[in-house]
Amino acid sequence: MTDSQNHKQKKKEIIITGFGGQGIILAGIILGKAAAIGEHRESTLVQSYGPESRGGSCSAQVVISDEMIHYPYVNHPDILVCMSQSGYDKLIKQMKENGTLIIDQNLVHPARGLKCDFFSIPATSMAEELGRVMIANIIMLGFLTAVTEIISMDAAQKSVTESVPKGTEKLNTKAFKKGHDYGLATLKGRQKKAAGQAGAIS
Amino acid sequence: MDEFKIILFLCNWGPHTAFQTLQDNGSEIPDEVSMIRIPCTGRISKSLLFKAFEMGADGVVLAGCKPGTCRYGSGTATARENTEDTRDIIGLLGLGKERLRHVTFLPDESDLLLQFLNDFCNQIRSLGPSPMAPIRIPESEVISRESVAEIVSYHDAFACQDCGKCSSACPLALIGKPFSPRELVNSIIAGDMDSPSVNKDVWSCLTCGLCYDRCPSAVNFPEFMRDIRHVIRKNGGNAHEAHGGFFQSLMRAMTSPGLKTERWDWLPQDAEVDSKSKILFFGGCTPYFDIFFRNHLGVETLNILKDSLRLLNFFDIKPALLQDERCCGHDLLWSGDQENFLKLAAINVDSIHNLGIDEVITACPECYRTLAHDYPKHGIKLNFKVTHIYELLENEISKGAIDFKKIDKKITFQDSCRLNWLESPADLPRKLIRRLKPSSFREMQNNGSSAICCGNCAWTGCDAFSKALQVKRLRQAHATESDLLVTACPKCQIHLRCAMEDPFLGEELKMEMIDLTGIIAKTIYWE
Ligand code: SF4
Ligand code: SF4
Ligand code: SF4
Repeated sequence: MTDSQNHKQKKKEIIITGFGGQGIILAGIILGKAAAIGEHRESTLVQSYGPESRGGSCSAQVVISDEMIHYPYVNHPDILVCMSQSGYDKLIKQMKENGTLIIDQNLVHPARGLKCDFFSIPATSMAEELGRVMIANIIMLGFLTAVTEIISMDAAQKSVTESVPKGTEKLNTKAFKKGHDYGLATLKGRQKKAAGQAGAIS
Repeated sequence: MDEFKIILFLCNWGPHTAFQTLQDNGSEIPDEVSMIRIPCTGRISKSLLFKAFEMGADGVVLAGCKPGTCRYGSGTATARENTEDTRDIIGLLGLGKERLRHVTFLPDESDLLLQFLNDFCNQIRSLGPSPMAPIRIPESEVISRESVAEIVSYHDAFACQDCGKCSSACPLALIGKPFSPRELVNSIIAGDMDSPSVNKDVWSCLTCGLCYDRCPSAVNFPEFMRDIRHVIRKNGGNAHEAHGGFFQSLMRAMTSPGLKTERWDWLPQDAEVDSKSKILFFGGCTPYFDIFFRNHLGVETLNILKDSLRLLNFFDIKPALLQDERCCGHDLLWSGDQENFLKLAAINVDSIHNLGIDEVITACPECYRTLAHDYPKHGIKLNFKVTHIYELLENEISKGAIDFKKIDKKITFQDSCRLNWLESPADLPRKLIRRLKPSSFREMQNNGSSAICCGNCAWTGCDAFSKALQVKRLRQAHATESDLLVTACPKCQIHLRCAMEDPFLGEELKMEMIDLTGIIAKTIYWE
């Protein structure tokens, strides 16, 4: 971990955190599988048994790299995905400087003035709209794929259909697409704002 | 050179005296000039000026008295406005403004008149013949029993149970007009086509579709009316056209293949379009409406097109435009002129196919219905899909990262008949409205599937009951205590504004109006 600077492009450390039942670990599995099977890279997953597992909270630590991974635990994530307030409160301090914070805005209220790349999506209410709160994790995964590009859209989508319970592929693909679209829209919005074209009438 | 036709509308007073002097002196008046003596230039409406072109004129002159010498006071000023409006419209149409002139002469200015006529004739000669093919007036036949019977059976009007649900839902009947769709269906089934009431009432129906919604036998009364109108008109029946039939003439004019229309003249500088795009934006006729009504209603329906383009650009869509776009033909179809509707449809679809377009987007409910629904129904095959802009907006906005600025307005909504009875777009306007952030949104007493029409459809059968209907509708809008009426169709803005111009009730009825695309474009932003 000493020369992490050199591996910046090649190695990404991610923590997805939330509470039990949200499919946090499944999201981690899908993410790791997409990198390993879909893109033939290295990846590891550790289900966190740290102090945060108390109170029903849980998290998935995922490392994705182009080289062999020697140490699968993530102490200082490049990307922190929060789907619960307690997870956020615990882990925000550990995030790398200039890391990327991604939250479900229905569940997490981040502190003001954070110095990091910040993305938010109403994943839970979008899942409600699709008829199943359960799929908020997949929406989040689509969003993560779009805004960070740590894995490709194709690999992620394939990994989703292969990992979710049989019979729910269609709904999950839809959820993934929804999150992905939201991510693309968010990026487009940033670009437009940077160009001074936030509204339709200039 | 008398294959050229120039119509000279000549006022009885000043200029006619000058003209007579020329005749008395045996001066050589150009052969192509046909003079029509009229009582006052102020009485030559836009529709009459345009009619001359429709019937094959290459140039038209409206010659009246000098300002201040008009015998009736306001004739000259009215004539000037009418000519200006018509000139701008024929400009957009690609006919060339120069073909129409308004001039004034004193009784003793015969030399000037002669000089003008020679100059004008030379100018028209150098422009060449009008690109507009003269419209053939069909010869009238007797309405055949078979043609009516065919329509009755096509729409299965025999299934009518005489229940009267239609008449009890019809907004025209409810406003007090002696008009009953039930009775109309029955008279037509009985073959009573010549009765004055059938002949008149057929043109009154707003084709709004409320009755169809209520009919237990699913008699599609509006389409039934549409087809009966066709038979009556084909047989020389009067279409009870509003505004002297100006709009029907205008649309028929657009069937001339030789016209090179210039309807995108007004395109804002910052609008991004791309002639190679596979997505086409179909504008519709609002540029013409704004010119026609600018001195009376002052509507700004062109904003709908501008705002739609802005919204497309907002979502990074740079659409192609049909340089040679014609009217979609909606109003011709619904006022009984199926022949010319089919011609327009063929020209439009051909040019769209030639551009290799995959998807046509439009903001006009009538264009949408006509392109998506009525073209295929009339046997015209489309190799592209038609999308109403609300569908596209809802789709893009629901992807996220979009928000709306607050507006300090209390809004209510006027449904568009043409969207209301089609399955997919019907609930879209409300979905979009619910995303907006006005101070309040309140529905009128009649809304959604019981909404009331704006009072006219297809520029046909406008009368005092249309006005009564509009008054009722606007009072409902005021009863919501809203101060902004959001509309979904350019025609709603025109017809409702018309009632707001009423000299007695106008003040009470006035309310600011904006199209849904306008309020979205004004408040949308990237989060
Ligand atoms: S509602 Fe239908 S069935 Fe009833 S009278 Fe009208 S057309 Fe006939
Ligand atoms: S279409 Fe509308 S105006 Fe015509 S008869 Fe039916 S309800 Fe009345
Ligand atoms: S309501 Fe007014 S604008 Fe509409 S057709 Fe009638 S007269 Fe014309």
